[in-house]
Amino acid sequence: MASSSSSNLTFKLHPLVMLNISDHYTRVKSQSAGPPHSAALASAPPPLRVFGCVIGVQRGRTVEIFNSFELLFDDSTHSLDRAFLIKKQELYKKVFPNFYVLGWYSTGSDAEESDMIIHKSLMDINESPVFVLLNPSVNHAQKDLPITIFESELHIIDAVPQLIFVRSSYSIETVEAERISVDHVAHLKPSDGGSAATQCNPPLLIIVECLIAASFVRDKTPMYSAIKMLNSRIRVLHHYLLAMEKGDMPCENSLLRQVSSLLRRLPTVESAKFQDDFLMDYNDTLFVSYLAMLTNCSSTMNDLVDKFNTAYDRNSRRGGRTAFI
Amino acid sequence: MSDAVESIVGHIQSLSSSPIQLDQLHRFLNRREKQLRSESTHLLSALPQLDPSLHSLGYLYIVDGYTTAHDTKELPDEFVSIIGRFLNTCSANQIRLAPEKFVAVCRRLKDQVMLIQSPIRGVAPLRAAIRKLQASPEHLTAIHPDFLLLCLSAKCYRTGLAVLEDDVYEVENSKDLLLYGYYGGMICIGQKCFRKALDLLHNVITAPMANLSAVAVEAYKKYVLVSLIHLGQFIPDFPKYISATAEKNLKSYAQPYLELAVTYDTGKVTELERCVQKHQERFQKDNNFGLVRQVVSSTYKRNVQRLTQTYLTLSLQDIADRVQLNSSKEAEMLVLQMIQDGEIFATINQKDGMVRFLEDPEQYRSCEMVERIDSSMQRMMMLSKKLTATNEALSCDPAFLTKVGKERSPMLDLDDYDPALEHFM
Repeated sequence: MASSSSSNLTFKLHPLVMLNISDHYTRVKSQSAGPPHSAALASAPPPLRVFGCVIGVQRGRTVEIFNSFELLFDDSTHSLDRAFLIKKQELYKKVFPNFYVLGWYSTGSDAEESDMIIHKSLMDINESPVFVLLNPSVNHAQKDLPITIFESELHIIDAVPQLIFVRSSYSIETVEAERISVDHVAHLKPSDGGSAATQCNPPLLIIVECLIAASFVRDKTPMYSAIKMLNSRIRVLHHYLLAMEKGDMPCENSLLRQVSSLLRRLPTVESAKFQDDFLMDYNDTLFVSYLAMLTNCSSTMNDLVDKFNTAYDRNSRRGGRTAFI
Repeated sequence: MSDAVESIVGHIQSLSSSPIQLDQLHRFLNRREKQLRSESTHLLSALPQLDPSLHSLGYLYIVDGYTTAHDTKELPDEFVSIIGRFLNTCSANQIRLAPEKFVAVCRRLKDQVMLIQSPIRGVAPLRAAIRKLQASPEHLTAIHPDFLLLCLSAKCYRTGLAVLEDDVYEVENSKDLLLYGYYGGMICIGQKCFRKALDLLHNVITAPMANLSAVAVEAYKKYVLVSLIHLGQFIPDFPKYISATAEKNLKSYAQPYLELAVTYDTGKVTELERCVQKHQERFQKDNNFGLVRQVVSSTYKRNVQRLTQTYLTLSLQDIADRVQLNSSKEAEMLVLQMIQDGEIFATINQKDGMVRFLEDPEQYRSCEMVERIDSSMQRMMMLSKKLTATNEALSCDPAFLTKVGKERSPMLDLDDYDPALEHFM
């Protein structure tokens, strides 16, 4: 059931979807763990599954999943609440006319056979739905996101054509607004009251951490080029103003007014508390870079010492020495 | 003045303007070296005809001829001032053509100055000489140890410290490095810069040594003591870049010191005093007794620091008892001194005699901290560049390649991967 997909579709997942699913799961879990007498039953709780629908856009071979909403799962008929789904879909269509129902989501550790029934039932809305699975069990050793995207494919097994789930790879796509909110959630410290969210919502924490790590490298490139461009533009302005001062260029008052209004716009925040926090963050980042450089240097030094010992020391095998700096 | 000397002087005066002429002059002087030595009596009188700043090379040769011919005791009194003036005013380009002679002259100056027992007269000239001979501030010359020795004898520690500020990356002679590190360490101890002293002494101990050097043994003894004063502990394990000879032999020469280190760990002042008493003769013979007394007084500080880790507040009397001081007054003085030195953070409430230990108030949210980290990072980047360059140079070193090649050839098994090879494969 878990081979990799061959459909060549590129999946892009937005963080909002992941946060929604995780939030849904946590809410239901904390609501069902209410009355104290059920603590006796808590020793073997049945795995809680939540269900919902994912919506987004499909352009060519790229499938971008933007948003999601919750659905009720009817245990008796093993199907999702169809009427609610259609109503919700129409409501979303009014706000986001481009969004279609792309598939559904659930929680659990792996896709099961019974999920195929739900999957097939959605095939009338979308001929090839996707199944997004969130693994709510907290595994701190795992560095990846606990989210898997499954597609359905027709494979011939024992001479019987069957639809089975196959895993697909996906990438995270963030819009600026999403990045800011994800950043904000990540930095909620336990001392704040507001972080009860991450404390009783371990999957959320893991998702957020993985998101930050994944987006750190990629998102910084546009920021870096933006800053570079800003720097070069400021240099041009500076040069121009210097030339004007020296008299090489004619004095243009309207331009001067514009420059002065631009300069007065920043800094937007000027208070002692802002300075404090800003400097603390700045120092934190500097320390991280410093640490990275220290480690780099130590590793080069270690190599150097090894080479030197091999080349010049009479007994070249020096195993078992405790190294201290 | 004899004709030969006259002609030499004439040559010097005419050939000292351009680099090509200087080369010519250099060759000429080399040929006439024997002559210079035989005519040494006339040489001194020839000196006033030459200007040390314009004719530095010639001047140097004449002075060198004079000093090699005469023993230190026979040198006239004005010798020191002549050489001093020469060293201060000579031109760096010219003397770099004959570095060994320059070093020899400096050494004679040092000997002379030590003989007449006024080492301070040699400090400034030698300092100027170092700057002129050095190709760059990272270069360790043979003059450095002599200069530091004079600083020590003359007690001009601060001048010595200024020269020690430069990091050394190039060394010509390993004996220079050993002496430089040893004298430098002593100067730093004198100025109470224990961290730098520890670094310098560490360099002496871990320098490559084929045979055990007496300097290294003395340096090791001081290293143990400074480590106790500055760090509060001594780790007897050697780092892996130490030479094999040092590793095997250093400990046997420094037994009393290692014993002292072990007793220091217990933190009991009486035990420490007993150990000091036992080995007092040995410490005094090695001229380390002053340091040993400093070690003993640092135990009190160490004990107070240990207290900060357990207690939040403590009364002065309690501190006196735990740290084994005699009275609460002494405890108050000690704590006050430590707060001033920045070794602990605390407040003393004199009304009820309580001391409250505080956390480090550094919040790391100031602009000065940004500048400090920035400058550290710049230094680290430079160091990293140097390390990578040295690493690459070492990989191409024939000694390294032959050793690694020898290890590989008997085994043609590709699975037996030597990690040293990974980097240049």
